[in-house]
Amino acid sequence: MKKSYLIYLFMLLPATMLCQTERQLVPADLKQQTIVSEPVTLRKGFFRTGIIMNYRVADKYFNASGEKEYYITSSWGSTSAYGIILQYGLTDRLQLDIKTEYRNKLQEFQNKEIVAGTNTTIVTTTRQKGLGLGDSHFAVTYQFLQEIERRMSLTGRINVTVPTGEKNPTNIRSVEKYDLPVGEGTYALGINISARKILYPYSLAGYIEYKHNFEGAKKFSAADDAESNFRLGNRFESGLSVNLHLNEWIALANEINFSDKSKGEVESIVTQEIPAEWALSYEPSLVFQVKRFRLGESVRIPLKGKNVPADPLYKIMIQYLF
Amino acid sequence: MDYIAGVWQDTHYQLIRVISMMLRFIFLVILIVTSVLKNVVSGQVPGRDKYQLLTMPFNQRPLTLYRGQLHGSTGYKFAVRTQYYDSEGEVVYLRNTGTGSVYHYYFIELRYGLTDFIELAAETNFLKRGIRSESTTYVSTTLPSSEQVTVNKLTEVKGMGDILLSAAVRFPLEYKWFDLALRGGLYLPSSRYEPQEPSHAVSGIKEENSYTVDYHYNNTNGFGVPVYELSGAFKLTLNKFTLNTGIVFSDPTKEGQNIRWEEALVERDFSYYDNSYSYLLNRTLTIYTSLHYQATGWFDIRLSGNYRKSDGGWTEYWGNKYSNPETRLFTIEPGFELQISPTLIICQNAGFPVKGKNSDAPFYLFTTVRFNMFPFLR
Repeated sequence: MKKSYLIYLFMLLPATMLCQTERQLVPADLKQQTIVSEPVTLRKGFFRTGIIMNYRVADKYFNASGEKEYYITSSWGSTSAYGIILQYGLTDRLQLDIKTEYRNKLQEFQNKEIVAGTNTTIVTTTRQKGLGLGDSHFAVTYQFLQEIERRMSLTGRINVTVPTGEKNPTNIRSVEKYDLPVGEGTYALGINISARKILYPYSLAGYIEYKHNFEGAKKFSAADDAESNFRLGNRFESGLSVNLHLNEWIALANEINFSDKSKGEVESIVTQEIPAEWALSYEPSLVFQVKRFRLGESVRIPLKGKNVPADPLYKIMIQYLF
Repeated sequence: MDYIAGVWQDTHYQLIRVISMMLRFIFLVILIVTSVLKNVVSGQVPGRDKYQLLTMPFNQRPLTLYRGQLHGSTGYKFAVRTQYYDSEGEVVYLRNTGTGSVYHYYFIELRYGLTDFIELAAETNFLKRGIRSESTTYVSTTLPSSEQVTVNKLTEVKGMGDILLSAAVRFPLEYKWFDLALRGGLYLPSSRYEPQEPSHAVSGIKEENSYTVDYHYNNTNGFGVPVYELSGAFKLTLNKFTLNTGIVFSDPTKEGQNIRWEEALVERDFSYYDNSYSYLLNRTLTIYTSLHYQATGWFDIRLSGNYRKSDGGWTEYWGNKYSNPETRLFTIEPGFELQISPTLIICQNAGFPVKGKNSDAPFYLFTTVRFNMFPFLR
């Protein structure tokens, strides 16, 4: 009898040794995960809403030779956008996104003309504003490979851009005075593939994206009588990011981003009006996770480029997960 | 005799007892005074450890660093200059004339606590900005063919600033609810302050007499002469609220010499020559006050007010000295300080100009990352 007890206890020993305690994550905990630790798509039934604000001024640009230059004429421009994002997890692998934005564009020029013969001075001030709903984006994201201990996640996304923003100059009072368009005026289809690996407290991610712009029609200037058919150049974009937890609720993200856009066409002719462009940028972000709230601040700094703005783009993001 | 001897012996014993008690008392007093002095000098309560000192909230922190503490700070200020206060204090909207601009200011600072009440510091900066002037087109129709020349002007300022070396001393008591500190320093004229040769260009040649002239001046950063700086600061804490106020005065030690570039345009080619001139920098007075609320141990919210005034300097033009305009600017700065980890702190301020005279009035965002450590303490 004593022997059989001992044998029984001996058999139980390995089970006791291998026994692990696993922290049970309740939905409330899952909704408080940070950008480093959360899954790449929302879990089934989770709904996230957020606002993204961005701001940039026009002070410098990369010219056609790739050199950084100031805008040398007396001009000033700024652009800001207030975007709303809605995201919903249809399943643990499938996510739907809707994004639209309210845009605010401003351009101001002034030129003083001194006519020697008549001894007169003519000051021409041009102030153009563009306010209104910009283009909207719809996306479907699917997680092909879910991340497990020794495997990274692999995700595909299809992105459709709908030209909901005003594409033509409006409220035209003169060639210099009119309201700027706030939309691109064309449909676009994008495909994105991204991968991510969590090595807590770090996460490494990368993506490639290709966006095809369809043909559209719009007025390129206030002086145009009719719309011209056009097609923006297709765009390739890729990025690599290293994210880390500075503490349990603050994450620092670092992304190197490259984008390349081919020349566009007007009336089926390749034109300098829509030039080819490329940009290499660095974007550090600081993201605070306060329970289900997420507050992020980032700045995209253009490092190199051609025919693109060279001023930093500031972004502020607020999100809440229901 | 025996009686006298007995009394003497008793007195002798009592004397020895009194002396012994006095010695014990003096020893005790020395022990207490030494202990108190040690605490006073070190400014620390025994039992505090490195972690506690590194995570000390703003409202419990003295004005200088603790002994052996090292702060390495790096910061970036992004300022958008879209308005200006003229000599009457009226706002001039630069963006309306297309002359708004942006400046990028990078900052690096090292501070070290020599003792609990003496601190040494060194700092410098890098500035990058380009100021556009109003474009002007000159049209002449008196010639057989009309002449049209458009002139654009950009003044770029780019370069390292001078190095400021300073030392601060604070009230030698442990910080409880108030503190006083004095700081003195000197800006060493370490930067390349003479402007570089301009890079003007002629472009947009349409006809023989119609073209565009782009003036591009390449200025540098730095004072060019040693400038001393004196400041005083006062800090008062009442529970979670803290008032921090101070005054900073800076003045050049002497007159300086610099060069001014002139240009000549011949056949659409520029040639340059420089003229030297003397100058005296303005003396500057800054008064600041900030009200802080320590929301939690790791988060401090603040609202600051800064008043800056400068005058007293002059600049030489064509052999005559012209006084520099007096400048004034009052700015409001909401901000926060966030302790991310014991070694990492992030501060961010936004600046909004309120009132001024002869001064740029930029809106700015200033972000600082501070590394906080005790390198020689385990």
